[in-house]
Amino acid sequence: MTGRYSWLTRELGVVVFGSSLVVLVSATLQLSFGAYPLSPVEAWQTLLDPAVVLNRAAWEAFILGGPLPEYETGTLVTWTIRFPRVLVGVFVGMNLAVSGAILQAVTRNELASPFVLGVSSGAGLAVLLTVVVFTGLLPYLPLFAAVGGGLAFLLVYSIAWQGGTSPVRLVLAGVIVSSVFGSVQTGLFLLLEDVGVIQSVVAWTTGSLVGADWAQVRMMLPWTVLAVGAALLGSRQLNVLTLGERTASSLGMSVERVRFGLSGVAVLAAAASVAAAGIVGFVGLVVPHIVRRLVGTDHKRLLVGCAFAGPALMTAADAGARLALSPAQIPVGIVTGLVGGPYFLYLMRKHGDFGGF
Amino acid sequence: MEQPLTHDGTDDGTDGTDSTLATAELTLQYPDGESPAVEEVSLAVDAGQLTALVGPNGSGKSTLLKGLSAQLSPETGRAILDGRALASYDDTTLARRLGILHQEPDGPDALTVAELVSHGRYPYRGFLDQLSDADRAAVERALSLTGTAALRDRALADLSGGQRRLAWLAMVLAQDTDVLLLDEPTTFLDLHHQLTVMQVVRELRDTDGVAIVAVLHDIEQAARYADEMVVLSAGCVVARGPPAEVVTPELLARVFGVEATVDTDAQGVRVRPLRPLAQHSGERR
Repeated sequence: MTGRYSWLTRELGVVVFGSSLVVLVSATLQLSFGAYPLSPVEAWQTLLDPAVVLNRAAWEAFILGGPLPEYETGTLVTWTIRFPRVLVGVFVGMNLAVSGAILQAVTRNELASPFVLGVSSGAGLAVLLTVVVFTGLLPYLPLFAAVGGGLAFLLVYSIAWQGGTSPVRLVLAGVIVSSVFGSVQTGLFLLLEDVGVIQSVVAWTTGSLVGADWAQVRMMLPWTVLAVGAALLGSRQLNVLTLGERTASSLGMSVERVRFGLSGVAVLAAAASVAAAGIVGFVGLVVPHIVRRLVGTDHKRLLVGCAFAGPALMTAADAGARLALSPAQIPVGIVTGLVGGPYFLYLMRKHGDFGGF
Repeated sequence: MEQPLTHDGTDDGTDGTDSTLATAELTLQYPDGESPAVEEVSLAVDAGQLTALVGPNGSGKSTLLKGLSAQLSPETGRAILDGRALASYDDTTLARRLGILHQEPDGPDALTVAELVSHGRYPYRGFLDQLSDADRAAVERALSLTGTAALRDRALADLSGGQRRLAWLAMVLAQDTDVLLLDEPTTFLDLHHQLTVMQVVRELRDTDGVAIVAVLHDIEQAARYADEMVVLSAGCVVARGPPAEVVTPELLARVFGVEATVDTDAQGVRVRPLRPLAQHSGERR
C-alpha cells in the first residue's frame, strides 16, 4: 500500500488489456462488414489513412461539424458512418458503467443501475411526450430525453428527502417515480398510430446506436470527460460511503452533500448516454458487477476498470446488434439484455451470497 | 517510544481546567420521538479517564453517545468538547478530535483490513492527497495496537467476528483522536476478544491519555475497567461514581430488575445475578 501507483494491480491490468482487445476486435468487425464490405486490413488502412488522420479540415468537419473534404466511398463509409458509431458505443458504455458503479456505491446496493434513480423513466416519458405531444420539437429529442432523466432524478431525491436521505429511501423513491412515469408512458404509447413512429420510440426506449455519427460523438465527449473525471476524483469518497453513512459521517464526511454530488455525476453520465443512444439496459448493472469481482471494491480500480469494460461490452453488443441479422439491425439494448440476463442467472446459481455488497 | 497518535492536551489553547468532553443538563429527542430519549444528563470525562455507560436496554445509552458525537443535536442543554459547544465544530475538525466505534458497523466484504484502517485517515487527507508518512505511521500504530497487523491483507468477510471488531477499532484509532466513544465494543464477542478489546481500550487511556466513553452491557466488565460508571435508567442518570460505590444489590434490583449478590475482592467487583425480579422500571415506556 505504498507508492502513488500502488492501486494499479495485475487484475486491473488484465481488465484494461482484455477490454481494449474486445473493443479492437469489435471495431474491426464494425468497420469491415456492412453494405460496403472492406477486408479487416483495408478497414484499418482506411482508418489510419494519413490523408484523413493528418487532415485538419477533416477533423474540423468531425469535431466542429463543418463541410467534409472529398474522399472516396470506402473512406467516407469508414470515417463518417462506421467509426463514429464505434466511438459513440465506447462513450455510452463508459458512461453507463461508471454511472452504475457510482450508484451502486451511493445506494450501497449491488443491484442498483444507472436507471435506479428514475433516469430511464424520466427520459422515456420525455421521449414519448416529444413524439406524441410536442411533435414540432422532434430535432431536440436527445436533449429532452436527458433533461427528462435529470428532472426525474431531482423528483426522486425530493421524494426521498426527509431531513436527509438514506439508500433505501432513494431506491424506493426511484421505484415509485419509475412506476408512475412508466404508466404514463404506456398510456401515451396507445395514442401512437404510425407504425414507423412506434418503432423509433421502441428503439429509443430499448437503446440503439443506429445512425449514431459525429454529432453524437461531439455531444457526448465533453460530458463523458467531465463525468468520468469527476467520478475518479470522488473515488475515495465512494470508498468511505460504502462503509455506511454512520461511519462516513463520523469520519467527517458531509454525507448528504457527497451523496447528492456523486449521484448527480452518475445521472449526468447516464443522461448523456441516453441522449446519444436511448435507454440501454444492463450495461450499467452488469459491468460494475463483473469488474468488482475481478479487481475488488476499491473504487479507483473499479471505476478505471469500468471505463474500459463498459466500452468492451457495448461495442461487442453493438457489433452483434448490427451484424447478427444483417441487413436488419436490432436495437443494441436487446443484445445487452440477452447477454446480461443469463449472466445474472449464472451469478445467482453460482454464488449464494449474491446481492450483498 | 514515539507516540504519533497522542495530543498532549495543551496545544489546543484550552487550559485543561474543563473536562475534555462534558454535557450539561443535556436532553436529546429523536425527530420523530414523542418524548426525550435522554433527559438532563450532565457528565464530564477527563483525558485519561474511562467512563462506562451502563443501563438496561432502551435506557438511552446509545442515544447519549449520539449526543456526545454531534449526531443528534441537543433539545436543551449543552454538549461540550474542550470548552466549545460540540455543534460549533465543523465535520473534519470534529472527526480529528473525536472518534466513535459504532455498534456492528458493516463494510464491503472484499475490503481488506489495511484498506479499512487507512480510511480512518479520511479527516486528515485533502481531496486529492495520497497517504502521507504521518498517515501511514498512524495506520501502522493502530494495526499494531489492536494486534491486527498480521491480518492486514485479509478481507473483512474472511475474519471472525472478534477480528472484524478489532479491525474496525483500528480504523477508529487511526483517526488519532483524543476522545473515543465506544458503542458496545464487546457485545457478541467471545471472551478472548472481549478481553483483547478492553485491553486496547485501557492502554489508550493509560498511555495516550485518551478520554473514553464506552457503552457496556456487562456490569462486571464495566466495573473492572471504568474509572467512573454512569448508570442510566429511562433516559435519566440514576447513579454515578466509582464502580465499587455504584454497583450494589439495591441498584441492580432497582435499575436492572435482577436479584444479585455483589462482592468486592482483589479483582474488583463481582456480580452474581440470581434471578429476574417481577417488576422493574428501567425501560422507557
